Amino acid sequence: MKAQDAVSWIAEVFEEPSGRITAETLRKEIPGWDSLGTLSLIAGLDERFDVHLSENDIDGMQRVSDILDILRRNGKLEDA
Amino acid sequence: MTDNRSFLDFADRWVVVTGASSGLGRAVAIELARHGARVILVGRDQARLAETEAAIAGTECRVLGLDLARHDSIAPEIVRIQKETGPIYGLCHAAGVVETRPLQANKVEVIQRQLDVNLLAGLELARAVCRRDVMTQEGGSLLFISSVYGHVGMPGQIGYCASKGAVAAAVRAMAMELARRNIRVNSLSPGLVFTGMTEQALGLLSAEHVERLKATYPLGPGQPEDVARAAVFLLAPGTRWITGADLAVDGGFTAQ
Repeated sequence: MKAQDAVSWIAEVFEEPSGRITAETLRKEIPGWDSLGTLSLIAGLDERFDVHLSENDIDGMQRVSDILDILRRNGKLEDA
Repeated sequence: MTDNRSFLDFADRWVVVTGASSGLGRAVAIELARHGARVILVGRDQARLAETEAAIAGTECRVLGLDLARHDSIAPEIVRIQKETGPIYGLCHAAGVVETRPLQANKVEVIQRQLDVNLLAGLELARAVCRRDVMTQEGGSLLFISSVYGHVGMPGQIGYCASKGAVAAAVRAMAMELARRNIRVNSLSPGLVFTGMTEQALGLLSAEHVERLKATYPLGPGQPEDVARAAVFLLAPGTRWITGADLAVDGGFTAQ
């Protein structure tokens, strides 16, 4: 998956209008990225990408690019 | 001799226990065996069922490997094993699955998986065990392990709450329908008990969240044995005037 498609997928998970978020968007700027949103993200990464987050991954996510890094680390992202 | 027996003595009656490979189901099977029941251990994991079998060594039992999500196989397998054991007295449906999923990430198939095991398999088991050519002539006792989350809500547990609430409702209907055959039907609603299933569900929560959850239990979290003892009570032939009941076994959680 391309990074831009991944950002669109992340927007969908947090129910954000497409285009409102970028890789640099902070977690605190995304209303849907609360504790339940994190659970949705965990479920989505598992179902869509077969990626399982560690506790460190979950604690460390502060911006959209952190999610992209996780996808990249797991070989799910095509490098630009 | 009969007069001296505890009202909790099962006197060699056969009871089917699902989810017997671990957690609550295993604890119920062990406690039933302690009280003179013979048990049919139902589960998917044969190796872990063998561990439960070893834990109740000395008590007659059967192991029935069954995927409860495959409903079509339930009745034929119960009928088949009854031919080996003779009439069956009771059922404890302790098997359950939980998938933590907020509404926004929920899907019909996620809810369906929980309904399939937690509710529908239990009803199909009840149908099979209550067949007149399967159950003991005296009647019998069915017990469903529901949950406090059949009564109160929990974020991320929409499918699980729905399945457990449906169990409690179905139990009341079955109790009404089956009383004429002297078959009692009850449910237990455990609170937070540490089993493999709850640890899987809690694993998605932060440590602080889990601690907050524990603190909501006046008596603290429970152990599988706490639930098993209550299960034996409701299943026992001696509690013959209890049907359609749901017993909270939750350390006071729902009394608040």
